[in-house]
Amino acid sequence: MSSYFISEEQKDALQEVLNISMGQAADALARLIQTQVHLSIPSIKQSSSDHFIERLKNPDQQLAQQSFLGELSGEMISLMSDGDNAAIAELMNYDIPLVEHEKQELMLELTNILAGACLHGLISQLNFKIQLAAPVLLNPASICIEQLSWQQALLMEICFQIPQSSFNAEILICLKQDSLLPLKNHLDMLLQ
Amino acid sequence: MAIPITIADDSALSRKTIRRALPPEWEVSICEATNGKEAITAVENGLAEVLFLDLQMPEMDGYQVLTYLKQHHEKAVVIVISADIQPEAQALVNALGAFRFLKKPLEPALLGQTLKELGLL
Repeated sequence: MSSYFISEEQKDALQEVLNISMGQAADALARLIQTQVHLSIPSIKQSSSDHFIERLKNPDQQLAQQSFLGELSGEMISLMSDGDNAAIAELMNYDIPLVEHEKQELMLELTNILAGACLHGLISQLNFKIQLAAPVLLNPASICIEQLSWQQALLMEICFQIPQSSFNAEILICLKQDSLLPLKNHLDMLLQ
Repeated sequence: MAIPITIADDSALSRKTIRRALPPEWEVSICEATNGKEAITAVENGLAEVLFLDLQMPEMDGYQVLTYLKQHHEKAVVIVISADIQPEAQALVNALGAFRFLKKPLEPALLGQTLKELGLL
């Protein structure tokens, strides 16, 4: 049981590591679209897959999933509401309205930028090696629990907003239970 | 004589990282602040000739601290150390009178070089 428990000190450290990762991801996007991205404080909590899957079922959003394995394993879910497409597409020089395949392409591109930078920030600061798979799109209408590779995970939620264009994206990093111990060990090294 | 400096950051890890990155030959007495209000109190109590300032903090954030210092304590040397590294954040910090903007994760060599450039070392 104790290996599932993150101490306050470890949580503070993880929070700071996530802040920095989020900052790097936001900077990558901000430079691309030449618009400031609003940052909020990342949240860290335990989650079960049956609870988690419910929030992915909202039909008005786009989802992408990207798994990683190695010294840490789990998956990232990128979540973007459908209505926000046009604003960000315009900033990324797409012609709007977007046709379906452009919507998908945009979603994958944003996933690569935001989720990629978040995870890279996390593993490089904590000195882990992982392999990251390419992102795949998920259909919120047909998503089922079998598509998640875990029952219990440490869930890290990072939110990006562009206030003037109502853009809102969330990156959810789900870390499998067996990665908690190495995570805690590496956080302790950082704290020493 | 040791120079009074203050490290203002809500994260314990981040304060520790900055402490560790300070050049060992730099004679300082270190005060720590966990939010913007404490940072200002430290400046007003003469504990922060040099202030290392985070931007995202509870109570009062780094931008508010810079705004206040610009009006009341222009002499305080403020070095912002921030996780938000977007061009707009850097521009705003410069406009508010910060001496330097350093990115997190902090590179100790860059901090040493910055202190030299500012004539503090």
